[in-house]
Amino acid sequence: MKGKLTKLWAVCSMLIAASLILFLFGYVFVQGAGSISWEFLTQPPRGAVLGMEGGIFPAIVGSLWFTATALVLGGIPAVAVALYLEFYCRSKKMAAFVRLVMQCISGIPSIVLGLFAYSFLVKSLGWGRCVLSAGAALAIMILPFIEVRAEKAFQEVPPQMIQASYHLGCSRFYTIQKIVLPYCSGELVSALILGGCYAMGATAPLIFTGAVAYAASPTSLFAPAMALPLHLYLLVAQGSTSLKTAYGTAFVMMVLILVSNVLATLYARRRHKKWRNG
Amino acid sequence: MQKNLNRLFSLLIKLLTALSVLMLAFVIFFIVKEALPLFEEVSLKEFLFGQRWMPIAYTGETSFGIFNFIMATLYVSLIAMVISVAVGVGTALFLVFCTTERVRSLFLPAIDLLAGIPSVIYGFIGITVVVKLFIRAGVHTGSCVLAASIVLAVMLLPYLVSSCSETILKMKERYLPAAQAMGVSRWYAAATLILPASWKNILLSMILAVGRAMGETMAVMMVMGNANLFPRLLGKSETIASVIALEMGTAVVDSPHYHALYAAGMVLMVLLFVINVSINLIRAKLLEQGR
Repeated sequence: MKGKLTKLWAVCSMLIAASLILFLFGYVFVQGAGSISWEFLTQPPRGAVLGMEGGIFPAIVGSLWFTATALVLGGIPAVAVALYLEFYCRSKKMAAFVRLVMQCISGIPSIVLGLFAYSFLVKSLGWGRCVLSAGAALAIMILPFIEVRAEKAFQEVPPQMIQASYHLGCSRFYTIQKIVLPYCSGELVSALILGGCYAMGATAPLIFTGAVAYAASPTSLFAPAMALPLHLYLLVAQGSTSLKTAYGTAFVMMVLILVSNVLATLYARRRHKKWRNG
Repeated sequence: MQKNLNRLFSLLIKLLTALSVLMLAFVIFFIVKEALPLFEEVSLKEFLFGQRWMPIAYTGETSFGIFNFIMATLYVSLIAMVISVAVGVGTALFLVFCTTERVRSLFLPAIDLLAGIPSVIYGFIGITVVVKLFIRAGVHTGSCVLAASIVLAVMLLPYLVSSCSETILKMKERYLPAAQAMGVSRWYAAATLILPASWKNILLSMILAVGRAMGETMAVMMVMGNANLFPRLLGKSETIASVIALEMGTAVVDSPHYHALYAAGMVLMVLLFVINVSINLIRAKLLEQGR
């Protein structure tokens, strides 16, 4: 009896989970596909209520700027921390401490990171609301995300390869450069891409640090810009007038994320084959 | 040359690590710095347990009490976690007991894709689908705590499924052969042996999920209705994160309102630190027991 009930529970849950996946992607793709046109992708938003008509071109470009800034500012330290933990840190206590700090950073809600960036970068440093301020907030958000994945990748390098390199008299830098990084490049690139997707989809840290309702495509790091997620939020907040463009914006975001995910997986697999099967 | 490069690189790595670690201190410092001025006007007790949130003196006095927001944050996260665990553990059981390694390696990345969907999109689908369903069911305006919990539960699902299926798989490999050798059926063993053996690790994933849920802003904000009320299942309410996101844009810099929003952020941050540190402690204990 107990066994049967458990089985029933498992089957029902699986049905729910599987249909959720199909529904979420299907819903956005079916509803959004209709709003996609060349104009939608290449025009700025227009209309009596902004965004009712026209496109989302500045938002796409803006989102790419935010994501790139976040990746540069967050990705490099993330990989550095992972390298430190795996190859440089000799004390277990220190490693445990750094890991705890990373976990705490990942636990900071993204909206609080927005508050931080506003107080420190926008106000104290006087950068104002701009791509750089918001990108820095996003960078802190994705730092632990990338770090965890990079560390996992480094752990998979066979220790005999690293030991052999050390015994040949190669320095740590040379070993990392010639063995560790090429060996993990697949996982590293996919970690960076996933981190980029995470940054691109985040709204909360941008609201008061750099994303605005309307701006031209940014040309400098010190200018505010539009961002896809905030644009979608504002369209939805306007009510039913802009629903069609909202579906289109959601569609574009989903496609960007899905394509990046697939690319990341494919790249990681190919690098795997190259290194691990001779 | 090589030697210098090596030294330079090692220095760079250490510097970047130190910077990343200092980042946490930086964030805490700036949040606390902006939050403290509020407590010259309002006592901590009043702030945490007061139910009136009147940041601007339109009529009468200003008042800053975030009790309802704190309760709403906890309430919506806990309900979301309960819903998500019910489905997530079931899905993990199915994946471990009914499918092969191959199917798992296809399905788990698929459910991981759910984790990649941005929270605004969840909020958007929440408004256009979940809220509509609630309106049809007769709930006024449709926005309510339950709707937000359902949307959040979907967002938590991928984390719970992947961590629970890992745990359950491990326990299955450990106990199922012996159980079957004694003539116990697979599902009976799952219900009476493998699930009880996994529950500690599942509990850990549950705490982690609550932490994630509490920090979530956009999706919850879009479907919860945002009214300063004590949370009820079918009533509107507002979480700490939504208050900040909604009011930060209109708060005058260095006004009490502005400081109060930072103080609310500080409370949220402290709650999450407590969760993260306790996860670490529990995990260390579990590892010790495992040995």
